Amino acid sequence: MAANFWTSSHYKQLLDPEEVDVVHQIDKERGISIEDFKLIKLHMANYIAKLAQNVKVRQRVVATAITYMRRVYVRRALTEYDPRLVAPTCLYLASKAEESTVQARLLVFYIKKLHSDDKYRYEIKDILEMEMKILEALNYYLVVFHPYRALSQLLQDANMGDTTQLTWGIVNDTYKMDLILVHPPHLIALACIYIASVLKDKENTAWFEELRVDMNVVKNIAIEILDFYDSHKMITDERVAAAMIKLNK
Amino acid sequence: MSEVDTKKVADRYLKREVLGEGTYGVVYKAIDTKTGQTVAIKKIRIGKQKEGVNFTALREIKLLKELKDPNIIELIDAFPHKGNLHLVFEFMETDLEAVIRDRNIVLSPADIKSYLQMTLKGLAFCHKKWVLHRDMKPNNLLIGPRGQLKLADFGLARIFGSPDRRFTHQVFARWYRAPELLFGAKQYGPSVDIWAAACIFAELLLRRPFLQGNSDIDQLGKIFAAFGTPKPSQWPDMIYLPDYVEYQYVPGQPLRTLFPMAGDDALDLLSKMFNYDPKARISAQQALEHRYFSSGIPPTEPALLPRPPPKKESVTSKGSDFNPLEGPTVLSPPRKSRRVMPNREGFEGNTHLADRMDDHEYEARQSADERNEHVAMSLDFSILGTRPPSRPTINSADRTHLKRKLDLEFQPEEED
Repeated sequence: MAANFWTSSHYKQLLDPEEVDVVHQIDKERGISIEDFKLIKLHMANYIAKLAQNVKVRQRVVATAITYMRRVYVRRALTEYDPRLVAPTCLYLASKAEESTVQARLLVFYIKKLHSDDKYRYEIKDILEMEMKILEALNYYLVVFHPYRALSQLLQDANMGDTTQLTWGIVNDTYKMDLILVHPPHLIALACIYIASVLKDKENTAWFEELRVDMNVVKNIAIEILDFYDSHKMITDERVAAAMIKLNK
Repeated sequence: MSEVDTKKVADRYLKREVLGEGTYGVVYKAIDTKTGQTVAIKKIRIGKQKEGVNFTALREIKLLKELKDPNIIELIDAFPHKGNLHLVFEFMETDLEAVIRDRNIVLSPADIKSYLQMTLKGLAFCHKKWVLHRDMKPNNLLIGPRGQLKLADFGLARIFGSPDRRFTHQVFARWYRAPELLFGAKQYGPSVDIWAAACIFAELLLRRPFLQGNSDIDQLGKIFAAFGTPKPSQWPDMIYLPDYVEYQYVPGQPLRTLFPMAGDDALDLLSKMFNYDPKARISAQQALEHRYFSSGIPPTEPALLPRPPPKKESVTSKGSDFNPLEGPTVLSPPRKSRRVMPNREGFEGNTHLADRMDDHEYEARQSADERNEHVAMSLDFSILGTRPPSRPTINSADRTHLKRKLDLEFQPEEED
């Protein structure tokens, strides 16, 4: 989106990492740890992406939906709003906000197709009810900026067109974390380019230096992403299941 | 906790009379007990729709949350209540169309300058934020209690910016549609809003809609009859537009003849806003810097602008078709003829575009309006001699087309 990021609500709403990683009190009482919290959000981001694949929407819609979901849980507890309903509803709302509406009944169809587990089975009316609650939790701010647009321009400028696919994939992976709530999208794009250039042995220090951005911030984001890749290896289905089960009491 | 919150928020507003039927639900006047401010609350019906929060309403929420400017309607608050979403707007007394149509009002050149300046300021802000309004017309320009003009009705607005993005060309009420849209352009920019603003400028000068086409073809005919059929040198890209057809050459008329009352600077600005070539058309920001605004008589202070007399605080008939946000002010001409217009000219009944979500409601309302109207309109006749033709918004054929396009067109697009 080319709209002006610096004057947008997205910019004004950027949070400190400490504000994002807070487990709400009632969730703590259920024994949900910060790791569980992150894991559940990751699991839900994957769920949104999987649903999106089925209903066929653009990546931008997926990214917006995940951002909504993550913003919701800054303000609401997992036990308050069931993530298994919040996730599809965020996709539903994002599809409307990004002007490529997906019908609620289509979503419900794929929810049932993807999950035999009753805990996931929500109906159209549940989604529509949750839509309103999500709007409220988002304080009605719906415009979200993403790294993708900056990415293609920056890659071109850095003469790194051949790494587009790799970098694009890294950007997609950043939505498994809360980065989009914390950092301006173009810095996330730069961090992904930075990782790609290290991986592919591209010498573009000069290019980075010419950019008028704080490279320390970019490097820190890059390190966060790499840390995530490391810890991601340890995530097993069992661990996710163990975290999810805490929601069911 | 949200339940408690909801109640409290709803309690914050003291509900007053119903102002009318908005584009997607009932609108009522209310007092904000927290600030003492009068507000207009739009209640968005959700219940009967299977698709949750109305798409048009959602668009408006999304964009208005980003657009805070003195010349843009303020979305103060939003809250769910009893299963419906409520949008709280600042209360506006009237709209520019009511001003233009009120024959008791004399608009001086300084008044016109002021109204146009506020319109362009609002537009410049939208465009700076990469938002196209796409439905500029006098009754979407609301006027507040201190004369401030504000852009409203962002139900058709969109974020633009990607140069290759394709949009639907079925936007704007026909009389305000730029020639490139009438030729089916799908890639267009802020210049479409400028053309519409030029039509509004012309309407302020003439005190009637300037180019009143009764079909898209006729609209182009009217435009060409006024300014002359564009030559390729004036508008090189014209022949590549999807629906381009060659029109028989007609010479234009001098602007001075069309607008005998306007000064040189006004005409110069008008001609730049009516430039055929969208790429060469003046931008909102450039227009604001035009000497029309900096030389000659200064624009009238908003608070001193002539406005229709405020309507007495009395029964606002329930379900009357007021523009929700303009409030109980205008006595003449009957506003029923504006926002929802019965078929008077023999062409396809007009429908406000944003009504497309609930046709049923619309039909019912339309017939009610028709009834109300006869009485009121006869008054209008006696004053005007001939009644101006009804203002087309978007006809039902367009509407179906539009509905399809708005919802689906963007789906297969690649990531941007």
